[in-house]
Amino acid sequence: MTISATADEAAAIVDVRGLKKRYSGSLWGRKQVNALRGVSLSAAAGEVFGLLGPNGAGKTTLIKILLGVVRPSDGAASLFGEPVGSTAARRRVGYLPESLRVDRHHTARSALKYYGRLSGMSPNDITRRSDELLDLVGLKGRDKESVKRFSKGMYQRLGLAQALMHNPDLLVLDEPTDGLDPVGRNEVRRVIERLRDDGKTIFLNSHILQEVEMICTRVAILSKGEICGSGNIDEMSSGATTNRVTIEVAAPETAFNGQRAENKFMEWIGLSDSSELDITVLAGQSRSHRLDVTLDSQEKIDGAVDRLRQAGVSIARLEPQRETLEDTFMKLVSASEESA
Amino acid sequence: MRPYLAVIRDSFHAALASRVLWGAFVAIWLLLAALFPFGVREDLTTDFRGQDFDNGTRMKAMLARGLADPTQKDSGAGRIAAAMPDEVRRQLELVGNGDEVRIRYKQLTDALNGLLDDESWYDEEAWNNINRLKELRELDELADDEIDESSRRRRARLRIEAALPGVFEARASRSIFLTYAGMEFPAELAVDKLQFDRVINQYVLPFIIDWLLGFIFVFLGILVTASVIPDMLQPGSLHLLLSKPVSRTLLLLSKFLGGCAFVLLCVIQLVVGLYLVAGLRLDIWNPRLLWCIPVSVFLFSVFYSVSALAGLRWRSPILAIGVTTIFGTICLVVGVIGGLFDGFVKRPDEIRGLTVAGQHVFAATEGGGLIRYDEDENRWDEIFDSSATNSDRVLTPIALSDSAVGTAQVRGGRFNPFGSGPLDLLVLSESNEWEPEPSLRLPTATSSLFRIGDSVMSMNTGELALASVQSALEAAGEVEGDSESSETKVEEDDGGWLSKLQNMMGGATDGFTSVLPEQMAMSPPRDVQVDPEGQWIVAISRGRLLRLERPEDSSSTAWNLTADRVLDGEASRRSVIAVSGDVLLVARSEEPLLLIDSKSLEPIGESLSLSDSLVPESASAIGDQGKFALITSDGRCRLIESSDGTNEMIGTIGPREVEAVFYHRSANELYIAHHIDQLDVLNVDGLSLSRTIRPKLVSWRLVDKYGISPLRMVIPQTGELGETTAAMVSGKSAVAFNNPSGEEELIRYNIFRPVISCALFIFVMMSIGCVYFATRDF
Repeated sequence: MTISATADEAAAIVDVRGLKKRYSGSLWGRKQVNALRGVSLSAAAGEVFGLLGPNGAGKTTLIKILLGVVRPSDGAASLFGEPVGSTAARRRVGYLPESLRVDRHHTARSALKYYGRLSGMSPNDITRRSDELLDLVGLKGRDKESVKRFSKGMYQRLGLAQALMHNPDLLVLDEPTDGLDPVGRNEVRRVIERLRDDGKTIFLNSHILQEVEMICTRVAILSKGEICGSGNIDEMSSGATTNRVTIEVAAPETAFNGQRAENKFMEWIGLSDSSELDITVLAGQSRSHRLDVTLDSQEKIDGAVDRLRQAGVSIARLEPQRETLEDTFMKLVSASEESA
Repeated sequence: MRPYLAVIRDSFHAALASRVLWGAFVAIWLLLAALFPFGVREDLTTDFRGQDFDNGTRMKAMLARGLADPTQKDSGAGRIAAAMPDEVRRQLELVGNGDEVRIRYKQLTDALNGLLDDESWYDEEAWNNINRLKELRELDELADDEIDESSRRRRARLRIEAALPGVFEARASRSIFLTYAGMEFPAELAVDKLQFDRVINQYVLPFIIDWLLGFIFVFLGILVTASVIPDMLQPGSLHLLLSKPVSRTLLLLSKFLGGCAFVLLCVIQLVVGLYLVAGLRLDIWNPRLLWCIPVSVFLFSVFYSVSALAGLRWRSPILAIGVTTIFGTICLVVGVIGGLFDGFVKRPDEIRGLTVAGQHVFAATEGGGLIRYDEDENRWDEIFDSSATNSDRVLTPIALSDSAVGTAQVRGGRFNPFGSGPLDLLVLSESNEWEPEPSLRLPTATSSLFRIGDSVMSMNTGELALASVQSALEAAGEVEGDSESSETKVEEDDGGWLSKLQNMMGGATDGFTSVLPEQMAMSPPRDVQVDPEGQWIVAISRGRLLRLERPEDSSSTAWNLTADRVLDGEASRRSVIAVSGDVLLVARSEEPLLLIDSKSLEPIGESLSLSDSLVPESASAIGDQGKFALITSDGRCRLIESSDGTNEMIGTIGPREVEAVFYHRSANELYIAHHIDQLDVLNVDGLSLSRTIRPKLVSWRLVDKYGISPLRMVIPQTGELGETTAAMVSGKSAVAFNNPSGEEELIRYNIFRPVISCALFIFVMMSIGCVYFATRDF
């Protein structure tokens, strides 16, 4: 797959070149780990940049380097043209850590006040921004409640609010929906979408591909400390048709003649290898099935439709399958692991 | 600074949200509530107490003489003795008969207190011949119907004190009685206001502060705050903090300071509470107490720096507590070992008095030793051993000639502050290889010796007595001469009961003759300076300056009182004097330094201010040009000069930790003893250093110098911070207490060393912590 490597460099907010990070071993048996092996990427202003990768790929290390928490062993990285870790760079970054920990004596409002002060904000700005952000993340009305009583979703929303307190130009979100239930994920996702729509530059680290696919404009896939692919989300999930077809059918009981449904479907579709067919019984409708079939020509599709119809099977839907981000991800990661 | 202040402020919020803190608050409030009912009642000092006696033996002898000597029957002492209860009178009669009778202080105080209610013993005519204090004279002028009960009893006490000079300690005119919830304590705890303030400020408050703040709150604080740094290092917290535009070093320091919030909040509660209780209930408004707040937090921060570093390294509160506890134990052990070395190795060797005879330097030590400097070996030769357990004491020697000195060794006795057994003047001479030879019998309870002209003068609790140097040397067999007169006198004295009573009273013995006029006694606090030519004596006795001159009429032994001046201010304050030429320096605790004409006793120029925190320890003239060296309780030697009516404190001379000074007149040199047993010798003209004496160290002193002292510099001396607290609360740089010999002794507070040692330690620990935190990947 051909992938465009970087965004427009002139407008790059995040610029990483040949970044390496090596965690040295110890006398006590800890081995040396090469967490990053020459990573290069860039993210432009207004982009929602997704960083994807399996566990241990080096995503968190890369984010720590961008935030100045960890120093690179080699290579260079800058934010807004400033070296990462510099005060000037950090002043323009808002960060939501993977599992935010707010001291238990805080309320949402006092926590925002605290983090606002840490960002060097004035008391007036803190009050104004707190009101705005509590409203934005849906915590207004619960702002004087101790965080001890907060759910994980409320914590994450509070985390988003604190990340936005000083109105940063770049938002770094590390697994923002990790550990949340679907409702919580949805709440957080909606907030991020609003920020995206407001034109914020967002650097999103996640291993939830659907989330990235829904939110991000560009992605990079990291595996084994190396970028194995990056590009626009459209390029990464191209939508190109494949040789797989999905057919949803409703077959009468008499159509199977006492034989196994799988054998009958293979016969009607004209398949000899059972691995080319996946059958799913659709919930609540014992006669309805979804068939995922490998059919590499239009002729074969037409023949299959004819035979199904002749057997009295109703065809509710027929759709050729397209390539997803997950497919691209799996393909790239597998290739990376194989080459390693 | 806003981000860092936010971190500190957040720590306060976190502390206030802690249940442990509120538990500590409740404990503090309960303690303060328990202390609040303490109160005081002030009244005139009337009743006698055991500790009021400066010289009980002298009192016993004076009263016995009052009964036994017909000429004393109508004297004040005689009338008082006659009015005593039968049992006491019977015992006094036995004393008068020469029997060894021990009368308990309790019996004597009960008897004297009985006399306060029934004044039939008083006779105006008898008391007319007695020196009376101004207060007594004023009370005597009041008619009986103008005087209330308390004042009447006070007057009776003063009459008794006046009739028995040299017997009683100086006490303030008003006393404090402790009460609890309005009830007086069953046991009598009456002390005067000065003592009361001193006890509260120097002992009680520092004790509470040291134990509660220095131990309990430190431990509690470590338990509570040990998690602050490890909590900060949690990924969800640390990465967020480090992503903010803050410096890692300042972030760690802010967290460290914020961690002290817990202790600060507790300390403020306790100290302000104690301040208010002491002020509202005891009328001791001591704002210096508030200094305990920063000192206590400082002490906590020593331990917290260890906890923070351990927490930073291992990210575990349990390990942080464990490491801090081990560190605290090490501090304690090193502190105890250091204290033992101070008490048993260094303090006994400290020089407390110096003299130079010809080329020979002698010193008396705190450990009751007498040492002579051996120039060839560069060491101090011990004539009498110095030891921490030695209850004997050696009087500062005096030069009898270029090759002989005189001193005395007072044998300590547990129940006898004036020593047990006879007290002889000891003569040590070069010809006898500095072996002590007994010479004249000294007056009982002699506490100081002086060389005045060709005489030796002794001072005891009430008397000044002279003997010729010649007779002293003769009695020691140093010179041959006509000793008939002294031997005759000895025989004559040995035979009479009066002589024995005279001895008990501290009167002149052997070849000694009393110098003080009739009815005059030296009362504490006292100090004496003498004319090297032997023509005059200047003394301070209980706030009264005296000048005595040798009578021209040789038939009279008592010297003439030629000038007399009562000083303003509290008479019971510690006083030292020195005379240089015609100028007398008077240095008293919490009073300005006075420069006074030594002849007329009239003030010269303006007085010089001396910080109230400084207690004058001793003073010495430097030459005859109005120059003085004053040793103060901060261990510094201050140079004071009076010239043409202008007085000036020029600055300090010599090193720190000065212990004694001696002006060697014939060589015009000033010897300064410092740092235990080292000497600096200054040429007085220009005060330039002419030589130093740094004696070789042996045995335990070597261990101390190369083992214990470096260890005490590395390990912070947290225990000694208690001295810093006591110094700050009391406003003094030394604490005064009576040693087993009954003498007031000053122990200097070690104020700065523990502060420096602790500050350095915190600096090192936090520097390591900051470098670690700033350079490490998290």
